[in-house]
Amino acid sequence: MTEKNEIDAVENETGAKRNSDTSNIIQYLSFVLGKEEYGVDILRVQEIRSWEPVSRVPNVPFYEKGVVNLRGAIVPIIDLRERFSLSKPEYTPLTVVVVLQTGSGSHTRIMGVVVDSVSDVISIERTDIQSAPDFGTKVSNEFINGLVSVNERMVMLLDVDKLLLLEVLEQNDY
Amino acid sequence: MKINMPITNNEVVMKSNTILVTRTDLKGVITFANDAFVDISGYSREELIGSSHNIVRHPEMPAAAFEDMWRTLKQNRPWQGMVKNRTKSGDFYWVNANAMPLFENNAVKGYLSVRLTPSRAEIDAANQLYRKINAKEATLHPTGLAAARKFLSEISLGKKLAIACTLLMLPNILLLRELLSSESYLLIGALGVSTLIAFWIMAHVTQSTRNFFVSAVHELFRLSVNEFSPPLNLTRNDQFGDLFRGIYVAGVKLGDDIAQAKQANSNSLRIIQGLKYAECSILITNANSEIIFVNQAAEQLFLRAEKDIQTAIPSFSVQKLLGSPIDIFHNVPALQKEALDKLQDSKTSQFDLAGHTMQLTVKPVFEVNRERIGYVAEWLDRTTEVKIEGEIEHLVRAIKQGDLGKRINLNDKNGFMKSLSTNINELTDVIENVFNDINHIIAKLAEGDLTNSIHSDYQGIYAQCKDNMNDAIVKISEFIIQIREAADFVNTSSQEMASGNNNLSNRVEQQAASLEETAASMQELSSTVVSNAENTKTATVVVKSAAEVAEKGGEVVKSAIAAMQAINESSNRIAEIIGVIDEIAFQTNLLALNASVEAARAGEQGRGFSVVATEVRNLAQRSATAAKQSNELIQNSVQEVRSGTAFVNETGAALMEIVDSIIHVGTIVGHITSASNEQSAGISQVNQAVSQMDDITQQNAALAEQAAAGSMAMSEQAAKMTHLLNFFKINGKSPAAFSAKAKLATSKPAANVQSAANSKVAVNASFDEWEEF
Repeated sequence: MTEKNEIDAVENETGAKRNSDTSNIIQYLSFVLGKEEYGVDILRVQEIRSWEPVSRVPNVPFYEKGVVNLRGAIVPIIDLRERFSLSKPEYTPLTVVVVLQTGSGSHTRIMGVVVDSVSDVISIERTDIQSAPDFGTKVSNEFINGLVSVNERMVMLLDVDKLLLLEVLEQNDY
Repeated sequence: MKINMPITNNEVVMKSNTILVTRTDLKGVITFANDAFVDISGYSREELIGSSHNIVRHPEMPAAAFEDMWRTLKQNRPWQGMVKNRTKSGDFYWVNANAMPLFENNAVKGYLSVRLTPSRAEIDAANQLYRKINAKEATLHPTGLAAARKFLSEISLGKKLAIACTLLMLPNILLLRELLSSESYLLIGALGVSTLIAFWIMAHVTQSTRNFFVSAVHELFRLSVNEFSPPLNLTRNDQFGDLFRGIYVAGVKLGDDIAQAKQANSNSLRIIQGLKYAECSILITNANSEIIFVNQAAEQLFLRAEKDIQTAIPSFSVQKLLGSPIDIFHNVPALQKEALDKLQDSKTSQFDLAGHTMQLTVKPVFEVNRERIGYVAEWLDRTTEVKIEGEIEHLVRAIKQGDLGKRINLNDKNGFMKSLSTNINELTDVIENVFNDINHIIAKLAEGDLTNSIHSDYQGIYAQCKDNMNDAIVKISEFIIQIREAADFVNTSSQEMASGNNNLSNRVEQQAASLEETAASMQELSSTVVSNAENTKTATVVVKSAAEVAEKGGEVVKSAIAAMQAINESSNRIAEIIGVIDEIAFQTNLLALNASVEAARAGEQGRGFSVVATEVRNLAQRSATAAKQSNELIQNSVQEVRSGTAFVNETGAALMEIVDSIIHVGTIVGHITSASNEQSAGISQVNQAVSQMDDITQQNAALAEQAAAGSMAMSEQAAKMTHLLNFFKINGKSPAAFSAKAKLATSKPAANVQSAANSKVAVNASFDEWEEF
C-alpha cells in the first residue's frame, strides 16, 4: 500500500505539472459549508462518499468525528463545519464525506472531511483566481489560496496541504 | 298637878324591843325624844321638844309615884317603875320606866328616861297597885313593920358587920370574965389573942369590902359619863375580882357600842351629805310621815314652784317644809296616809301640782325587822319636759295632718330643749321647703307649665327626690316634644296617605279596565296556544325526517374518510418510491463526481470520460430535481388529503351533533307540545284569576276610598292632638309655633299630592328647627 500511495503521489505531481504545463485551466471540486461555497483541487480528492457512521476515537478534538475503514485504509474523518465553526452539523443521507490526500514531500496523508453537500466540478482559469483578502471570511485565510467567481458565485479555494498539515501539527500538539 | 284630858280606854301596846328615850333638863323640859317616843306619843316632835315632860302624863297615874321618882332622882339615884302615859289623842300606854340623872363633870346636868316594854303581868300588878294608891288603900313605900324591916335590911354593910362582931364578942367577954375569976391566965391570954385576931380580920374585911364597893360604885358612875377604861384590879381571885371583871367587860363593850354608834352616825352623815347635794330632789319622812329631810335639789324644785303651789295650798312654804307632814300636798293621792300605809315597794306616779307636772317616786323604808320607819320621796319636775312633749306631739300631729307651717316656740326654752326644738324646727323647715317645691312644680305641671324646676339645695333622699322630679319634668318635656313631632308627622303622613289613596283608587279603576283587556288577550292567547300545539306536531315529523337524513350523511362521511385514508397510504408509498429515486440520483451524482475526479486525474485521456461523467451528473441532478418536485407534489397531496380527512371528520362530528340536536329539538318540540297543553290549562286558570282580580280590584277601589277617608280622619285627630299638646308650656318653645302648624295642617284636609309634598317640605323645615333646638 505504501508503494501504491507513493506512486499516486508521483502521478499527482506529474499530472499537476502536466496540467499546468498544458493549460492554465485547473479543475476544482466545489462543496458547500453552511452558506458559503468552497473548492479544493480535484487532484487532491481521492474519493467522494456518502456519510456513514464512524468509529469514534477517544480523546480527540470535538471536530474529529472518528475513523472509517476505507478499503483497508484507516482514514480519520473531521467535520469541516465544526472545524471552521460554521454551523451546527447535521448528518443526513445527503451528507457527504470528501476523502482528501496530501502529497507534501514523501509523506502522504489521507483524511475525510464532512461537508454539507458537493456542488460541482468547476474548471477555473488560473488567472481568474484572486488573492484572498485579509478578512471577510470565516475561514482563517492561511487555508485559503484564493477566491474565484463562478457563475456569480463566490468560491473560496482551500489549500489542502495546509489544511491537512495543520491537522498534523495540531495533532502533534496533543 | 297637870291633868291632861280627855282620856280614852284605848290602849296602845308598845311593840316588844322598842325603847322610848327622852332627855330633860333639870326642870323636866324635854330636850330630846327619839322617833319611837314621838311615834307612840302622838305629838309632833316640835310639840314635844321644849314642853314639860308631864305633857304625856296620864291622870290615873298617882302623884305619889312622881313624887317618889323626883325624890329619888334628887338623891342622884336612878328610879324605876311602871308608868301609864297618855297619848295626844287620849289613849294610854304602859311603859317600864327607868329614869336616871345625867352627870357631866360630876354634876347633874339633866335626866335621862329610858322606857322598855313591860310584860302584861307587870302592867296588871302596877294597875292594881296604882288603883289602890289612888284609893288610899296602899302606899308606894312600905309603912310600919315593913318599913322597919326594910330599914333594918338596908343598914349599911359596915354597921351590920360591927353589930355582928360585937354580938360575937359578947360570949368571949363573958367567958373572959369567968376565966379571970378562975384565974386561969393562960386560957385568958389565948382567948384574948384569938379574939383580937378575929376582930382584926373582921375589921379588915369590913374595911376592904367597903372600899371595894366604894370604888365599884365610883367606876360604875364613871361609866355613866362615858369613861370606859376603869382602872380596876382585874387580877384578884376572889369574888371581888369577878365583879371587877364583869364591870370592866361591860364598860369595854359599852365603849365598843358607842364607837360603832359613832361609826354608824358618820356613815349616815356621809349619806345624808351625799343626799343633800344630790341632783335628784329627795324628801325623807319618818314613820309618822313627817318630813325630816329635804335636800338642796328638792328645795330648789319647790322654790321654783313655791308661788304656784301657794295658789293651791296657801299654807305651803319651803321654809316650813322640814317637819311638816308629807300630806301637806293634800291633793296628791300618792302621799295620803292610807296610800302610804299600803305601800310595800317603790311606786312612781305622775300628777299635776298647781300647774307643775311632778313625777313622784315613793319608797317605804323598813327596819331590819320589817318595821316601817319612814318614806323616801323622789320628786321630778317634768313640767318643761311635758310641755315640750306636748309641743312636739302637737307639731308632729300637725305635720302628720299636712300642716307644715307650725313651729316650736324657742323663746321659753334653753339648753337641751332649745337645741332639740331648734333641730325639730329645722327638720320641719326642710320638709316644708321640699313639699312646697314639689307642690309648686306639680301645680305648674297640672297647668301644663313644664318650664319650672327645683333649684334649692337638698341632701340625701330629698336631693334624690329633687333630681328625680327635675328629671321627670325634663323627660316629660322631651316626650311632649317627641309626641308633638310625631303628631305633626302623623298629620302630614295622613294627608299624604289620603292623596295617595285617591291616586290608588284611580289606578285601581285603570287596573280594572286593564284586567278586562287582559282577559280578552288571554282568549286570543289561548287560541294561539292551540295552533302552537298543532304546529309542534308537524315540527315533530319534520324533525324526525331531518334526523334520518343527517344519519345518512354521517355514513357517507365515514366512507369518505376511509377513501381519504387509502389515498393517504398511496401517497406515502409514492413518497417512499420518490425517496428511493432521489437516493439513487444522489448516489449517481456521487458516482459521477467520483468519475469526474478520476477523469481529472486521468488528464487528457480522461477528458471524454469527464464529459460523460458530467452528463451523468446532469442526469442525476435532473433526476434528483424531478424526484424533489415529485416529492413536494406528493407531500402537498398528502397534506391536502390530511386536511380533507380532518374536514370530513369534522363534518362527521358535525353531522352527529346535528343528529343529536335534531333529537333534542324533537324532545323540545314534545316539551313545547305538553307545555302548550299546560299553557292552555294555565291560561284558563289565568282567566279565572283575572276575573277574581277584577273582583278584588273592585274591593280594592272601595278600600282605597275608605283608606282615604280614614287618613283624613287621622289627620284631623293628629291636628287635635297637636292642639291638645299645646297645653304644655316647654322651655324655649312657645306653643304658638305648634298652633300655627296645626292650623296649616287642618286647613288643607283635601290635599292633593302637590300640596302634600309642600307640607312635607314644611314639616322637614320644622324638623330642622327641632334639630337645632
